[in-house]
Amino acid sequence: MSVSEIPHENRQNGGEKRYLKANHEQVSVFFEYPNNTIKTSKYNAFNFLPLNLFEQFQRLANAYFLILLFLQLIPQISSLPWYTTVIPLVVVLSITGVKDAIDDMKRHQNDNQVNNRSVLRLVKGRMEEDKWMNVQVGDIIKLENDQPVTADMLLLSSSEPYSLAYVETADLDGETNLKVKQAITCTSDMKDNLDLLSAFDGEVTCELPNNKLHRFTGILSYKGKDYFLDHDKLLLRGCVIRNTDWCYGLVIYTGPDTKLMQNSGKYTFKQTHVDRLMNILVLWIFLFLIVMCLMLAIGHGIWENKIGYYFQIFLPWENYVSSSFVSSLFIFWSYFIVLNTMVPISLYVSVELIRLGNSYYINWDQKMFYAPKNTPAQARTTTLNEELGQVKYVFSDKTGTLTQNIMIFHKCSINGTLYGDVIDKTGEKVAVSEKDKIDFAYNKLADPKFSFYDKTLVEAVTKGDPWVHLFFLSLSLCHTVMSEEKVEGELVYQAQSPDEGALVTAARNFGFVFRSRTSETITVVEMGETRVYQLLAILDFNNVRKRMSVIVRTPENRVMLFCKGADTIICELLHPACISLCDVTLEHLDDFASEGLRTLMVAYRELDNKFFRTWSVKHGEACLSLDNREKKLSIVYEEVEKDLMLLGATAIEDKLQDGVPETVMTLSKAKIKIWVLTGDKQETAVNIAYSCNIFEDEMDEVFTVKGKDSETVRQELRKARSKMKPDSLLDSDPVNIFLAKKHKALFTMPEEAHALEGDVELELLRVACMCKGVICCRMTPLQKAQVVELVKRYKKVVTLAIGDGANDVSMIKAAHIGVGISGQEGMQAMLNSDFAFSQFYYLQRLILVHGRWSYNRMCKFLSYFFYKNFAFTLVHFWYAFFNGFSAQTVYDNWFITCYNLIYTSLPVLGMSLFDQDVNDTWSLCFPELYEPGQLNLYFNKKEFMKCLIHGIYSSLVLFFIPMGAVYNSERSDGKEISDYQSFSLIVQTSLIWVVTTQIALKITYWTVISHFFIWGSLGIYFCLLFLLYSDGLCQMFPNVFQFPGVARNTLNQPQMWLSIVLIVVLCMLPVIGYQFLKPLFWPVSVDKILKRIHYCMKHPLPPPIRPRRRRPGLRRSAYAFSHQHGFGALITSGKTVKSKALKKNSFPAKK
Amino acid sequence: MERRSRLQLSRLPDITAMKQQQLPAYQLHFSATMVFSIFFASGVFCLFMGIFLILSAKSIQKVEINYTKTCGNCAKLREDAFNHNKICTCSIPFVLAKSMEGNVFMYYKLYGFYQNLYRYILSRSNSQLLSKDLKAVEDCAPFKVSHKEIPFAPCGAIANSMFNGTTKPPYWPKPIYELDPDDPENNGFLNDDFIVWMRTAAFPTFKKLYRRLHRIHYFIEGLPAGNYSFNITYNFPVTKFQGEKSVVLSTLTWSGGSSLFLGLAYTVTGAMTWLASFAMLAIHFMLKQRKASTSKWQSKALKGQSRK
Repeated sequence: MSVSEIPHENRQNGGEKRYLKANHEQVSVFFEYPNNTIKTSKYNAFNFLPLNLFEQFQRLANAYFLILLFLQLIPQISSLPWYTTVIPLVVVLSITGVKDAIDDMKRHQNDNQVNNRSVLRLVKGRMEEDKWMNVQVGDIIKLENDQPVTADMLLLSSSEPYSLAYVETADLDGETNLKVKQAITCTSDMKDNLDLLSAFDGEVTCELPNNKLHRFTGILSYKGKDYFLDHDKLLLRGCVIRNTDWCYGLVIYTGPDTKLMQNSGKYTFKQTHVDRLMNILVLWIFLFLIVMCLMLAIGHGIWENKIGYYFQIFLPWENYVSSSFVSSLFIFWSYFIVLNTMVPISLYVSVELIRLGNSYYINWDQKMFYAPKNTPAQARTTTLNEELGQVKYVFSDKTGTLTQNIMIFHKCSINGTLYGDVIDKTGEKVAVSEKDKIDFAYNKLADPKFSFYDKTLVEAVTKGDPWVHLFFLSLSLCHTVMSEEKVEGELVYQAQSPDEGALVTAARNFGFVFRSRTSETITVVEMGETRVYQLLAILDFNNVRKRMSVIVRTPENRVMLFCKGADTIICELLHPACISLCDVTLEHLDDFASEGLRTLMVAYRELDNKFFRTWSVKHGEACLSLDNREKKLSIVYEEVEKDLMLLGATAIEDKLQDGVPETVMTLSKAKIKIWVLTGDKQETAVNIAYSCNIFEDEMDEVFTVKGKDSETVRQELRKARSKMKPDSLLDSDPVNIFLAKKHKALFTMPEEAHALEGDVELELLRVACMCKGVICCRMTPLQKAQVVELVKRYKKVVTLAIGDGANDVSMIKAAHIGVGISGQEGMQAMLNSDFAFSQFYYLQRLILVHGRWSYNRMCKFLSYFFYKNFAFTLVHFWYAFFNGFSAQTVYDNWFITCYNLIYTSLPVLGMSLFDQDVNDTWSLCFPELYEPGQLNLYFNKKEFMKCLIHGIYSSLVLFFIPMGAVYNSERSDGKEISDYQSFSLIVQTSLIWVVTTQIALKITYWTVISHFFIWGSLGIYFCLLFLLYSDGLCQMFPNVFQFPGVARNTLNQPQMWLSIVLIVVLCMLPVIGYQFLKPLFWPVSVDKILKRIHYCMKHPLPPPIRPRRRRPGLRRSAYAFSHQHGFGALITSGKTVKSKALKKNSFPAKK
Repeated sequence: MERRSRLQLSRLPDITAMKQQQLPAYQLHFSATMVFSIFFASGVFCLFMGIFLILSAKSIQKVEINYTKTCGNCAKLREDAFNHNKICTCSIPFVLAKSMEGNVFMYYKLYGFYQNLYRYILSRSNSQLLSKDLKAVEDCAPFKVSHKEIPFAPCGAIANSMFNGTTKPPYWPKPIYELDPDDPENNGFLNDDFIVWMRTAAFPTFKKLYRRLHRIHYFIEGLPAGNYSFNITYNFPVTKFQGEKSVVLSTLTWSGGSSLFLGLAYTVTGAMTWLASFAMLAIHFMLKQRKASTSKWQSKALKGQSRK
């Protein structure tokens, strides 16, 4: 087909709809659809420099210095030569530029790797291997099992029956369960016939590229007929083909148009609190600068009037100056240039470097490396480190974050006997070890990964205990798991919930192997013997029933009902005959619950044929009824689910991740509040909350809020609040907080987010903040983000969200800091996170060690950095009073250029990369040390004012002591010493000494590197001094290096060293005194702990305080079911049941 | 097997002290004892330094003769620029009651003369002074070239305003090579007085070395007591901008002509440090005592409670 054949209306519609035709490249070319190349990189070799510079100058600080540079070029006001600004600016810009370039190179590499993957593409009737990036819209592509999907494409046909294709969407939405896609019949008939496929010329009209993952509408026109397309027929880029040998697809969206790329929204730039504070402070400094310039300009005006006008005999005014007013106008700007170093040019770049360094420590931390998965911790964002030291709220996902989402069949109680504990001869429980694992070699179909330690259960099975057999039989029948057996004997179960999978796997290992199922049969291998049960009905699980049952006809033609469900429910349905057994079993259940295990009761009932037949009729009627179907069904179900005979109970361990309770304990000691936001149901969430210490038994009652509309929610919240504190005060009231510490709250989010509406949300926040533990259940991803936003908005504290699945992405993005657990569920959470690691308990190290260090370092850095620039710059201010406010600087131009860049940069960088007030062991031992960060005690506006005052004091000392020393004084050879250059040298050398001693006082952790940096930069100063003031350089560039010989002439003068010593003493002693007196007069809680640590450090280490793991004493019921509907409906409809045998038979439609 | 496990841990971070932040280090922590010893020690040091410096400064003999008022007539004359042709001399007699022993230096001292103005300091040409390029006068505004467009040598405001008992401002009457008729070596840019003047002062009040006492014959021990007088050819107008002029004769000590300032500053610092350290000591012990008593009280209260 040539382009001219494109239907006219489609040409015009090009803007609103997408039109494409299979196997016709021209269409794609005509509409200029992009090819499948993705580009995440920002720059290329040519545009890097202009683009990067443009971006950098968008930053306020850089723009400021650029403007300053232009000011300096105006000769009338220029008071400093151009290089004093240009050299630091160039250095700063190039450091940032290099960093950006390296980042972009990595992105280029990733893009290249993805774009060059190979895929099979249909070209001229043959499958040819091609690169991903060459794929075009309208191409037909073949995908094989376990291959990632190349582009968004329409499924045409597949190897599976009914042209089904299974995909895993973990990278897209985080869900690990497989999803089914089905091709439409007209294309599925083509199968893998290449001739047919190449001849296929279907035309697709569909919507324009968008980011909606679960929506797609389009129309396929083929052979004159129109077929409706929806998202069930679309394979999305980012999915992986599973359990499907091959499938063919028609490419619809490519590269940047794919839903995956459309979804990868722009990274929202996260700013830390310190960033914001820094911006405010820079603004303050700017205002301060303007005030100073004004004062000096006024001073200049007065001076010019009184003295300068007459001094014109020796220095006439410039011709552009007509009066002292004009002169002071120029002086204002001149001083603006001279005092520019108040706004430190290297502040931002140093902050970036420090954060980068501290991020690398996280990447390098061997204690955050998870060996089993070979994953180190990863700081994906390098700009948030110090925020880690200020976290007040942690929002955690449950599944996969607190728990491993691995269910393990741990114990069971069968007919009153408890199995699962390993007991030695004396009757004591023994800790299990790997070598005690039971060998299931006798069972060829056993799952090798399954482990169990109690030999008595195996003995019971092999001995043929009928109850045990029945128990496992019921486990192998009563479920909605699907099996897959690719290789003979290697069974793979697909379970809706991991609990079910665990139970069926347990039955399998003990010899009751669920092998396969059709819509009407279940095949079980019982102790080696294959038996086929007829599946008569599945009474599926839902949240109200809290149980599920199956009714089967055994090969012996008995009708049996097997039921499993929550103990509270099953107990009421039991036959009176098994009351005593029920009591024993309930005791066992208490044991299980106290260990935090998820329990289920298992029961059965034999139905007589006649009863079943009448029931079956009723069931059929209920199934077909149109209105109130659910209700009618449950009534019918209840008729048969009664008089059950108890078989026993199962206990499944929802395995917590390692160290979760300890971590939670440590974090709460650090006054960090942990809220669990989960989509799971209440019971499981509470159970987990208890087992990982978020709820403790000592806490008072649980408030459960689960109103269906906003009014009831509000009332419930009010009630809770008045219970905690009758006259509901604001939660800032200290008494209130104290009282509230004992409570715990539980919110169950109803389907509609009533609790997150308007004024209710405030009420919710108030109540929640009064409670010690908070759990929100039934949360949608959006609600999770809303809760985070809520806390962020009203509490003004740093929040951290931690999660592992795609449902946590919104919360991770919303929080100040997002942490991704690279665990079981896809990569989505990790890709959107700021920090990623693979175990929850690394969180305490991240926050308490790295976060705390980063925060402390950053605060020390900032206060020192501001101080050193104040001390440096304000000297000019004092000098103005002695030089007719003429914008004469105290220092040599080269000193001004090098001060921030060379002379003082290394020690402060060294401090902010290596300093630690206490080491990591102590930080973890005393989580209370974390508190100052949360309260932002170490650097705030008050601390800044202290820096300013300290800087003013130092600058006063730095100016007036040398002035007094040289004023009216002579050198030892009789020449004068009060010349400008000597004075300048004395002040700048003293300044270097003062700022170096100040940082030496600030550093608490003196490593070799600190010594090297500090002494090194003093050394560098003196070396450069002799170089810059050398005769040689001066001979070469007499107008640039104007201080020849000053160093060697002045450094040997006693006045110089006497002033330096006095200045250092005067600047150092008040600081030492303040540091000593501060904890005495204004003690903070941390001082005591630090004192204790210093005491301990001199004495041998005490054994690290291990938090005692508490055993929850109360019985809590948590039943092991997924909260979603089971596969029941799917199984009975037969749609997803793969069986080769089925293929031949007609498809049993059962509706 | 070993190889495989190493492969599996391919991303294990390096275990170096630097990367694990476990560099061996000295933990600096100021204990009370350390603080007090630092304070007392620096107090002692400063006091001793101060007293020593004061004593040595006192040993200096200094004579300053301010002739702004004495030569008021000349000053008046110079205020009017049209009188620049008229010569005005002024004689200042003075009595040296005590002989000045050792090296004696003579300085001229100016009050309120701003050699440190930004434009003033800048107004010189180092290239010219180094004789690299005599025509390099671009930095010398406002004294770059004469009205005949001939570059000044030396150019610039500093050179132009050179304080010289024999030249007359604002323009040099003599060429640079005739500054010292007595010594042909001491002329041009190498003239001592010129060099001294070109090293601009940091403050508006400054003194500059003018002459040394040539210690021969009668003056071998220094400057004996007696009657002296300075004969000054008054050329330099300063009264217009409230400036003053004087002549200073002074001897030196080991630390040069150190003024009292450093000695006093040291003494005051030392005294303050001592005061501060005593105050801190008192606070420290008071708080310690109170803490001890409260903790005793608390433990007693606790015991009482437990008995109940």
